[in-house]
Amino acid sequence: MNSALLPVSLMSYVGLSAVIFFIGVGGVLLRRNPLIILMSIELMWNSANLLFLAFARVWLNNAGHIFAFLVITVAAAEAAIGLAIVVVVFRRTHHVDVDDVRLLKG
Amino acid sequence: MPFAHHVMGVEGAYPLLYAVWLLPFAGAVACWAFGPQLRRLAGPLASAVIGAAFAGTLLMWGFATQSVGGALGAHVSLGAWTRGFDFGLLMDPLALIWCIIITGVGFLIHVYSIGYMDGDRAYARFFAYMNFFVFAMLTLVLSDNVVGLLVGWGLVGLASYLLIGFWFERPSAVAAARKAFVINVVGDVGMMFAIFAIYAHVGSIGYGDIFANVPALGGALFLICVGLFIGAAAKSAQVPLHTWLPDAMEGPTPVSALIHAATMVTAGVYLVARFWPLFSSSPDAQELVATIGGITALLGAILGTAQWDIKRILAYSTMSQIGYMIMGVGVGAYEGGVSHFFTHAFFKAQLFLGSGLIIHALHNEQDIRRMGGLRARMPFAFWAMTLGVLAICGIPGFSAFFSKDAIIYGALRHGHPWLFWTGIVTAGITAYYMFRMLFVTFLGEYRGDVDPSDLGIRHPELAGTPLPAAPSHGESAEEPHAPAWIMEAPVAILMVPSVFAGWLLFGERSPWHAFFAQQFRPEATVATGIPELAASAIVLVMVLAGIGIAYYRYASKPALENATGRLQQESVHMPAALSAAFYFDTALDILFVKPAQGLGTVFGRWVDPKVIDGAVREIVLSCRWLGHLFRSFETGLVRAYALIVVFGAACFLAYYAFARGL
Repeated sequence: MNSALLPVSLMSYVGLSAVIFFIGVGGVLLRRNPLIILMSIELMWNSANLLFLAFARVWLNNAGHIFAFLVITVAAAEAAIGLAIVVVVFRRTHHVDVDDVRLLKG
Repeated sequence: MPFAHHVMGVEGAYPLLYAVWLLPFAGAVACWAFGPQLRRLAGPLASAVIGAAFAGTLLMWGFATQSVGGALGAHVSLGAWTRGFDFGLLMDPLALIWCIIITGVGFLIHVYSIGYMDGDRAYARFFAYMNFFVFAMLTLVLSDNVVGLLVGWGLVGLASYLLIGFWFERPSAVAAARKAFVINVVGDVGMMFAIFAIYAHVGSIGYGDIFANVPALGGALFLICVGLFIGAAAKSAQVPLHTWLPDAMEGPTPVSALIHAATMVTAGVYLVARFWPLFSSSPDAQELVATIGGITALLGAILGTAQWDIKRILAYSTMSQIGYMIMGVGVGAYEGGVSHFFTHAFFKAQLFLGSGLIIHALHNEQDIRRMGGLRARMPFAFWAMTLGVLAICGIPGFSAFFSKDAIIYGALRHGHPWLFWTGIVTAGITAYYMFRMLFVTFLGEYRGDVDPSDLGIRHPELAGTPLPAAPSHGESAEEPHAPAWIMEAPVAILMVPSVFAGWLLFGERSPWHAFFAQQFRPEATVATGIPELAASAIVLVMVLAGIGIAYYRYASKPALENATGRLQQESVHMPAALSAAFYFDTALDILFVKPAQGLGTVFGRWVDPKVIDGAVREIVLSCRWLGHLFRSFETGLVRAYALIVVFGAACFLAYYAFARGL
């Protein structure tokens, strides 16, 4: 492994990425405010981006950078749809709490 | 003359043959589809169509009788549908004779129906059914293969069912129609198995191929003949499948005349005559056919003596006369059997139409005990019935004298002496019951106003039930009615052939013999010991004896003076066996109907609700149970779904991390 290319060790990137990812997972599972949930999902996207960039640097392969842009694009689209749903729900109920949106209950 | 008949008919275009075959169908469709628009034109239209078919049949005469290199008649190919299934139309002398009766007598009966069915609510429907019947019957006789024959066979059964049950408001008519249909299907099944066997052995359904390969049938020949004859027996009301025919008289009288006397019920005779190469090769089958025919002839005649309903008398007489025909074709006297079909069609149609005149005039009264003295009131009907009775009895010079003697003497010539004597006895009984009907109906005083119980009528409320759609003359004056001549003219025309048609058979070199010279191969005959003239004399003596007894019992001076009392005595003392028609209905009821009903009850009470419905119900319940199980997973909580996704992702991760190794 070339330390000149990567002053901080790879495992630090992977570890940070894992920490951010699980913070995101925890946010999605534990918070009831949809805006927070969307932000948590954003955290997970970005942990993945961090890995793409770290490994692109390690393997000197630009595909990782390109995929990072792709992920940013998809994340933007996902945020747009998610926020639209939140707005629609808010207009109907005047408060937003994902546990109260249970129309699909069997 | 070689009888190489495997080439059936001279191939050609013959547009007339198509016309004869399809015109009645077009008429049926027109009456069916445009009945409300046609109104009272439906009858004339339907009659005209059948008249045109009759004209076409006559114009086909030359083609039907042509013979080129062993091919007899006219043949039209309708194309090969699959290998071995070549359909086509064949009009040879045998088919021609049937077509002449179907369209000729059919035309007269259609014309008669214009008057008889006048004012009926379902006037157009009646003529649609009648035209459809003619089409079906033509399909039956014109087919050049066994499958087409079976199609026609089934279609005439359907037409018969529809017309017996024409007045479907009456439960008895519906029951009679159903009975006729079921018994006919028994026959159809017998025929179907015969056809399966034929195809298995010959590999073709065409008559020509079958008749050229009779030896190939081998041991199956007898069973094939029996199968075919089961079909013939059901259609032609032969013992023990005859019980539907008397009940079929529930249909309108023209139907009885056309279908249940002149044409459809003789399809069995056609079948045996058409398959003569098979029957001639199987003496056992011939013996069976002839015996059944003889038994039916005798039984029908005996039962005819015990009937009071004028149409039932004629029905049993039809059964008996068809018994003669079957006996004739059974012993190998094909020409004789077919000739009796030919003459019988005329005089029996005439008798039925004559009885229809009476029934029509008396407002659906059919019990001859409540008639009497009609000679003065209805002279035309009297003469029509008298000529018909003379013809059926075989008085010398009248038509049945020739055709019936051809059968009776044919039985002797082909070595069946006891059938010969059966035929003679039957001829005597026939004369007795036909003259009984004639005397009771037309002589003495009119008894329509006598209390029915004084005449021995047990259930007067059942006798002469007024029809819901009774054609009633004079009551609704605003509707113009068909003139009386429209019913009398066909009967008058029928008198001519019913008296004179028998002369075609006169002599050794008769026109009839010349006509069929190339159709049938003469069967071997035996020395008889009784010359034909002597046989005719014996028959005549029996007939005169029958007439004498009938005269003594019903037309002599003391009999006429106390007619009411005598009829009551006869009704009350009628032997139970005769009243119950020798318990055939009871026996069939116990043997087949009751077990079938029992089976139906088992299926209706147990199999259907428990097995069929039960299975469906179990499937529904298990689906519902599964649904209840799975819906508990669907909480609607977004975070729960997210947890499941995470759990799934963790499982994948664990799998790749531990099971596959890193």
